Amino acid sequence: MLAFAVAVVLFAYANVGFGLNGKVPSGLVGYGLAFAAIVGCAHLAVRQLAPWADPLLLPLAALLNGLGIVMIYRLQQSGRSGNPGSQIITLSSSATAEQVLYSALGVAAFVAVLAFIREVRVLQRYTYTLGAAGLVLLAIPALLPSSMSEVPGTGAKIQIAVGGFSVQPDQFAELALAVFFAGYLVTKRDVLALAGRRFLGIDLPRARDLGPVLIAWGVSLLVLVFETDIGTSALFFGLFVAMLYIATQRTSWLLIGIALFLFGAFAASQMFGHVGERFTIWLHPWAGDNPTHNAYQLVQGLEGMGFGGVFGTGLGHGQPFWTPLVQSDFIMTAFGEELGLTGLMAMLLIFGLIVQRGLRAAVAVRDPFAKLLGGGLAFAVALQVFIIVGGVTQLIPLTGITTPFLSQGGSSLIATWALVGLLMRISDAARRPAPQPIQDEGMTQVVRAG
Amino acid sequence: MNRALFRISLACLAMFVLLLLNVNYVQAFEAGSLSNRPGNARVFDQQFQYQRGAIIAAGTGGNTTLAESLPVKGTSTFQRHYPDGAAYAPVTGFDSVYGSTGIEAAYEKYLAGTAPSLAVHNLISLLTGKPKQGATVYLTISPRAQQAAYKALRDDGGHQAAAVAIDPATGAILALASYPTFNPNQLTTLDGPKFVKIDKALLADPSQPLLNRAINETYPPGSSFKVVTSSAAFSTGKVASPAAIVSAPQPLRLPNGNLLNNDGDETCFGGRPQVIQAFLLSCNTAFANIGMKVGGPALRSYADKFGWNDSALTIPMPVSPSTVPLITDKSFTAMTSIGQLDDAVTPLQEAMDAAAIANHGTLMRPYLLQSVQAPDLSTIASTTPSVLSQPVSPQVAGEVQQMMVAVTQNPLGTAYATAGPPAVGSLVIAGKTGTAENGINNGGLDDAVFTCFAPASDPRIAVGVIVKGGGFGAAAAAPIAVKIIEAYLGGH
Repeated sequence: MLAFAVAVVLFAYANVGFGLNGKVPSGLVGYGLAFAAIVGCAHLAVRQLAPWADPLLLPLAALLNGLGIVMIYRLQQSGRSGNPGSQIITLSSSATAEQVLYSALGVAAFVAVLAFIREVRVLQRYTYTLGAAGLVLLAIPALLPSSMSEVPGTGAKIQIAVGGFSVQPDQFAELALAVFFAGYLVTKRDVLALAGRRFLGIDLPRARDLGPVLIAWGVSLLVLVFETDIGTSALFFGLFVAMLYIATQRTSWLLIGIALFLFGAFAASQMFGHVGERFTIWLHPWAGDNPTHNAYQLVQGLEGMGFGGVFGTGLGHGQPFWTPLVQSDFIMTAFGEELGLTGLMAMLLIFGLIVQRGLRAAVAVRDPFAKLLGGGLAFAVALQVFIIVGGVTQLIPLTGITTPFLSQGGSSLIATWALVGLLMRISDAARRPAPQPIQDEGMTQVVRAG
Repeated sequence: MNRALFRISLACLAMFVLLLLNVNYVQAFEAGSLSNRPGNARVFDQQFQYQRGAIIAAGTGGNTTLAESLPVKGTSTFQRHYPDGAAYAPVTGFDSVYGSTGIEAAYEKYLAGTAPSLAVHNLISLLTGKPKQGATVYLTISPRAQQAAYKALRDDGGHQAAAVAIDPATGAILALASYPTFNPNQLTTLDGPKFVKIDKALLADPSQPLLNRAINETYPPGSSFKVVTSSAAFSTGKVASPAAIVSAPQPLRLPNGNLLNNDGDETCFGGRPQVIQAFLLSCNTAFANIGMKVGGPALRSYADKFGWNDSALTIPMPVSPSTVPLITDKSFTAMTSIGQLDDAVTPLQEAMDAAAIANHGTLMRPYLLQSVQAPDLSTIASTTPSVLSQPVSPQVAGEVQQMMVAVTQNPLGTAYATAGPPAVGSLVIAGKTGTAENGINNGGLDDAVFTCFAPASDPRIAVGVIVKGGGFGAAAAAPIAVKIIEAYLGGH
C-alpha cells in the first residue's frame, strides 16, 4: 500500500517534468529516494512502535504529503527554465527541497509521537500544562509586532518570524488544545451533561456550566480580533464544540455552540471591515471590480478549476501560477486545475478516508480520553479541509488556513504528521488484541497499566 | 460517547459530501463558463501554446493561406503569421495577446479548438498524446478577386475606399477589401507592451487603417440608390415599366420650395424621359418625382428588403447597418430617393443591392465561411446558402437589370466609358453609378459609388465599390469594380 503511494507520487513527479519540459525532471532520483526513505522510516517505526495501528492511515498520509511536494515542485518551476508563469515570486528555488525537509521533520514528529507516547492516556497528565501551552502558542503572534507575526501580503498575524525562519504556532496550539479539551472534558463531562431546564424539547445545561464554552468562544474571538485569522478561530471553536458534544452527548451544547459561532461571525462581519469583506467576496465575487481586486485570488482559483474541468489539464499543463499564494491556501485549486474534477475528488476522498479511519479508531478504543481525543482530532482534520477547500471553491466564505499535508510550509506539515501519529497511537490501542484473561471472565477486566 | 462519535462522523460525511458536490458544480457544471470568462488569463495564454487553426481562402483562384500559426524558435509557443497580411486584413482581422478581430475573433472557437463539435477530437488527441490543434477555417474569399480589389484600391491615389464582391447566386463573399489598411503581422507579437505601442499608433493614425470600411463605415449612396427607388416604383406599380415616361424638369421645384437639380444642371431628354433613359443618364429630378410618387414609407420598406436598416446582419463579423430614414415629408422623400439627405450605405450593402437584382430578385444571405475542417480532416461545419429576403419579383428584377445594362451599354450611359464596351469589350456589366455630395459643398470631395454585377446574362459576381472623395462614380469607382470582375471571371 505504501509502495503504491510512493509509486503514485513518483509517477506524478515525472509527469510534471514531462508536462513542463518534455523530459524526466533531474531531481527524480534524489527527491524520489528521499521521499521513499522518509516514508520507509515511518513504516518501520510503525511496525516497531504501533504494530496494531490502522494500516491505511500511513499510506494515505504519505500519498497526500507526496502529492503536495509534487505540486510545490511544479509551482516552483513556473517562470523557470522557459516555462510560463513568472508571476510566482513567492516560491524560492529551494522550495521543493525545503518541503522534502519539512516532510522529514514531520515524519520525525510522527515517529516521536509513537515512540514517546506509548499510551494515549499519558497525555491526560499534562492536560492543564498543554492547555496553557496551547494558549500561549496562540497568543504569541498577537503580542508580537506585526513585522514578526504577519504573513506577508495577507494581513494575518499568525506566525513567529525570526530571521528568515518562521513558525506558525497555531498548528501546534491546535494539537495541544485538543489534548487539553479531551483531558478537561473527560473529567468534567458528567457535570456538563447535567441537565438544567428543559426548553422547547431541549435539555438546556445549567447556566454556570456555560463557562467553558464561553471561554473557548471568547478565546477564538480574541484570535480573530488580534490575529485577523478567521479560519483558525473557526477551527478552534468548532473543535471545542465537537469535543464537548462527544463528551456530553448533549445536543443543547451543539446548538449553543453553533448559535454562539453564528452570532460571533455576524458580529465580526459587522464590526471588522476585513471580515465583512470576506462575506462580500464570497457572495459577489464577480460583481464590480471584485474580480480584479478583492476577489482576485478567489476568482483566479475558480477560473483555474473551471479551466481544468473534469479531467484537468494534466500536471504541468495548467497555469495555476495566476492564483496568488497558490502554493499555500489555494493549493487545492492547483490540483483542481491540473488533475481536474476527478483528481480533486480522489484527493478529497483520501482526506475523507483519513478522517474516517481516525473516527473509527476513536469508536473502537475503550479509554474515554483516547476516544475523545481521537474523535476531536479526526473532526479537526475534516473541519480544516472543509474550511479551506470550501473557502477556495466558494462554498463558504474564504478564510485562510493551510490545507493539511498539501500546503507549502513546515508548521502545518509537522503538526499534521504529529496528529496522524496520535491517531495511529489511538488506533493501535483500539486494535491491540486484549491480553488473554488470566482467570475466568468475571466482573473484572484486565487493563494494561499505563 | 460512541453515539455522539457516530453523529460527528455523519457531520464529517456531510462536510465531505458538500465539498464533493461543490467541486462537481464548479468543475463540471460551471467549468465552461468559468473557463471562458473574459479575463481568464489561462485561456488567453493557452492559445499560444497550441497550434491555432489556419484560415484559408478557398474561393476561385485556388486555396491560399491567409493566416497560420508557426512555432517560435526556441520556445514552446506559436505565433500567428499572415502571408499576405495587408491584402486580407479586413477579412482575417488579427489575433494578438490582447484579443482578436475579424474572422480570428468570429471563429475563435474553431480556430482555438474549443468548439463543442471538436470536443471528441480533442479527447482523442489527448489520449493518443498528440498535441492539441485548432480547426482550419475555409473562407469563400476568391484570392483572385481579393488581390485585384486590394491592388485597385491601393493604386487609386490614396483615397479611403472599399470594395465588396458577392456571388449573387449563393451570397458567398468573394472579396472584401478596405484601404488604407494595416499589416496584421505587426500585431502578432507575443510581447504585450510592444503590442500596446503598435496598437496605439494604429489607433492614432488619422487614416484609420484599422477601420473595416467594407462593412463598418457608411457613405452617402448617391444615385446608386436609384436601383432601390426603381425597384420600389416598379413593384408598387407607381411606374409601369422602364419604358414609362416620367417628368424630369430641370430644375425641379420641391414642395418646400427648394430647387433640385440634375448633375451639372443638365436637362434630361427634354424633361420627358422614359424611366430607363432617366436611369442611364442618372437624372435626379426624374427619380425625385418617382420617389415622391412611391412615398417615403414604401421606399423605406423596399430598402429594408434589400437589407438596409438591418443592424443584426453578420457575415459573421457584425455589419454596420446601411440607413434610409423613415420620412413622410415629400420634399425630403425626394432627396432620399436619389440617395442624398441622411441615406448612408456600406460597400457591402451596395454589393447586396446588385446581387439581389442579379439573382432574379432574391437576396442571398452574405457569408464568408465555406467550411471548417477538424485536424483529422473531417468537416465539422459548413455554410448552406440561405435566402435573406426577396426584395422584388423576378420580373421587376429583370426590368431593373435591363436599366442597369443600359448604364454601361448605351453610349449615353454614365458608365459607358469606364464599364462599357470601350473598357471591357464584349463583357456586359450591369451597373449603376453614384456621385454623392457629402455635405461639404465641394465637387472635388464627392464620394464615388458603383454597384454592379456581371456577366449580365449569367451573373456570377456582384460588386459594390465606394471611394471616399473619389469624385464621379463612373470615373473613380467603376474602374475598380471592373478590375475585380475581370480578375474573377478571368478572361470572361
